[in-house]
Amino acid sequence: MDNIAIDVRDLTRRFGKFVAVNKISFTIRYGEIFGFLGPNGAGKSTTIRMLCGILAPSGGNATVAGYDVNRQSEQIKQAIGYVSQRFSLYNDLTAEENLRFYGEIYGLKVDSFQERIEEVLRMTDLVEWRNHLAGEFSGGMKQKLALANAILHRPKILFLDEPTAGVDPLFRRSLWELLYQIADTGVALFVTTHYMEEAERCNQIAFISQGRILKIGEPSALKNQISSELLEVECRPLMKASRLFQNLPGVRGITAYGTTLHLNVTDIQSSQQAVSESARMNAIEVVSIKPISASLEDVFATLSEKK
Amino acid sequence: MRNIKAIAIKEFLHIIRDRRTLMLIIMMPFLQLMIYGYAINMDVKHLATVVYDEDQTYLSRRLINSFEQSAYFDIAEKVKTPETLHRALDRGTAKAGLLIPSDFTKDLLAGRQADLQMLIDGTDSNPANAALSTSQAIVTAFMRKEGLLSAQVAPIDFRPRLWYNPDLKSSFFMVPGLVGLLLQFIVPMITATAIVREKERGNIEQLLVTPIKSYELMLGKLIPYLCVGLIIALSIIAVAWALFQVPIRGNPLTLLTLTFLFLTVCLGFGLLASTVADNPQQASQFIMFLAAPSILLSGFIFPRETMPHFVYYLGYLIPLTYYVQIARGIILKGLGFIDLLDQVVPLTVMAAVILWVSIIRFHKRLS
Repeated sequence: MDNIAIDVRDLTRRFGKFVAVNKISFTIRYGEIFGFLGPNGAGKSTTIRMLCGILAPSGGNATVAGYDVNRQSEQIKQAIGYVSQRFSLYNDLTAEENLRFYGEIYGLKVDSFQERIEEVLRMTDLVEWRNHLAGEFSGGMKQKLALANAILHRPKILFLDEPTAGVDPLFRRSLWELLYQIADTGVALFVTTHYMEEAERCNQIAFISQGRILKIGEPSALKNQISSELLEVECRPLMKASRLFQNLPGVRGITAYGTTLHLNVTDIQSSQQAVSESARMNAIEVVSIKPISASLEDVFATLSEKK
Repeated sequence: MRNIKAIAIKEFLHIIRDRRTLMLIIMMPFLQLMIYGYAINMDVKHLATVVYDEDQTYLSRRLINSFEQSAYFDIAEKVKTPETLHRALDRGTAKAGLLIPSDFTKDLLAGRQADLQMLIDGTDSNPANAALSTSQAIVTAFMRKEGLLSAQVAPIDFRPRLWYNPDLKSSFFMVPGLVGLLLQFIVPMITATAIVREKERGNIEQLLVTPIKSYELMLGKLIPYLCVGLIIALSIIAVAWALFQVPIRGNPLTLLTLTFLFLTVCLGFGLLASTVADNPQQASQFIMFLAAPSILLSGFIFPRETMPHFVYYLGYLIPLTYYVQIARGIILKGLGFIDLLDQVVPLTVMAAVILWVSIIRFHKRLS
C-alpha cells in the first residue's frame, strides 16, 4: 500500500446536469508513468484539476500522495508538481527569476535554494540560458523550463497536461528521456497526451471518453485485446466505401488511413466476406483486404467510436 | 510573509520590464501636469488687445500705457477705425478691444462723466470674467493716479481681497486635484492590468496549483502598486512645487496619510475591475467608464456649487470629490486632519466598502 501514489475510486464531477467525469477509478504507483488519453472534452482536464486539489469532486474519493482531495488540498499542492498545457510561467522574467519566484512560493529551504536551482537547470540543459527572458525561448525550451519549475520542490507526483503539444519531434524525445529520468527517482507521472507513440511509452494507460474510463491497462495488453478484431481494406472510392461498410452487420467502427480503411469488426471471417460482397455490388474496387494488428491509435479510435 | 514578498518582488520586475506601464507611470503625471499647469491656463494674462484711440491726447496715451503695463493685457495693435477693432474681435486675433472716444479728455477735465468702452471676447467665460474685473481695476487705479477721483470720501471703502490664491493662478487650483485625478486613473489601471494579464496569459493556472493563499496573492500584488501610487503622488507634488511654485501650507505627513487612504480606494477600484474583466482592454474600459465622469463631477475643474442639484449630489458618490477637497485643503489652505473630517469619514467608508466587495469577488473568481 505504501507504494501507491494516486488512488482514485468512483471519482465524479458534475457541472450542473452535465457529468464531466463519471465514476472513474484507477491506481498509480510511485515510479510509474501513467498515460491519460482521450478526445478533447472527455474529462481529462477536469480529472487533473480534481487531483491537483483545485476543483472539488462531486462524488467519489481520491487520495494523492496519501492526502484526501476533498479535505487536504493544501498538502496535495505541496506534494505535487504541475506542467500545464499552455506555457504558464512569466515571459517577462528570466529562466532563473521564474525558478526563484516559484522556489519562494514552495518554501524551498534557504540554504539549499541556489543549489537546487542549479540542479534543475543542469537537468534540463538550461544553464546557459538562465539569464534569458522566458519569452525568448522556443516552445521546447519553454516546456523544459516548465518541467524544471515543476520538479523544483521535489514533488512526489508530477502532473503533465499535454507536455509535448506543439513541440518538434527531437525535443519531444529529449523531454521523454527527462520524464524517464524523473520516474526513475521514484516520482509518479500522470501524463495526458494526444500522441499515440507517447502513450506507448507509458507503463499504464487509460482511455477516457465522455467522462468514463473505457479501457485501462498496459499498452501492449490493450493492443493485443483488439488486434484480432481489426480489418484493413484498401479500396476506391474511399469515402463512398466508408459510408457503405459502416452499415454492414458486425462492423463497429471505421477509420480512414490514407488509401485504406480500418474496420473494427466483431468477427474477422464473416466481415471479410460481407465487405467483399458489398464492394462488388456497389462498384467499389478493392485492392486488398487483410486482418492487421492494432496500433494504439486504432485502439483509441475504436474506443472513441464505441458508446 | 515570504510568499507576499516573493510576489511583490516579481511584480516589481514586471513593472520594470514593461515599457508601457513604465511610461504610463513616469510620463503621464508629467504630461498631465504640463497640460493642466501650462496649456489649460485659466489665468488672465497677456490678453491680446486692440486699441482704437480717437482722442489722441496725453491722457488717453497714459491710459493705454497703464493697460500695457498691467501684464494682463498686451496691446497687439492700434487701429484707425472702430470697424477694424470689431473685425479683430470677430476673427479672434484679439480677445479684448479698448475704445477711447474723441472727447474723453475733454469730458474728464470738465468734470463730466467720460465714456470709455471695453469689449471683451466672452466666448470663454472664465477668462472673460477675470478680464472684466481686471480692466475695471486698471481704470480705477488710473484715475486715482491722475488725481481724477473726486475728493469726497467714498461712503464705503470696498476692498475685495482674494485668499489662498491671491493671483488667481489656476495652476494652484488645478495641481492638488490633479494628484487625485491621476492616481484615480493610473493606479486602478496598472493594478487591474497586472491581475488580468496573469489570468489572460495563463500564469494563474500555475499559481493555483501552488500552496499560495489567495490573500497572499492579493497583498503581494497590491503592495507594489500602492508604492507606485505614492511615488506618483509625491512626484506630481514635487514637480508642481518646482515648476509652478505651488506651496504646501499644511502638514506633508497628513497629506501623505490621506493620499494613502485615497490610494486604497484606487486599488480596490482596480481589483474590482480585474474581477469583471477578462483582458486588460476590458479592464481599462471599465475604469474609464467609471472614472471619466469624476473629472467633471468632482469639482476638479468646475466648482460643484454652480451645478444643478442632482449633479451636485451625484458628486458626493465620487471618491475624487473628497480627495480634491482634502488635497486643496492641505496644500493651499494648510488645513489639518480635524478640519477635514467631513471628507475623511466618507472616504474611509468608501475605501472599506470597495475593498470589501472587490476582495470577496477576487476570492470567488480565483476558486
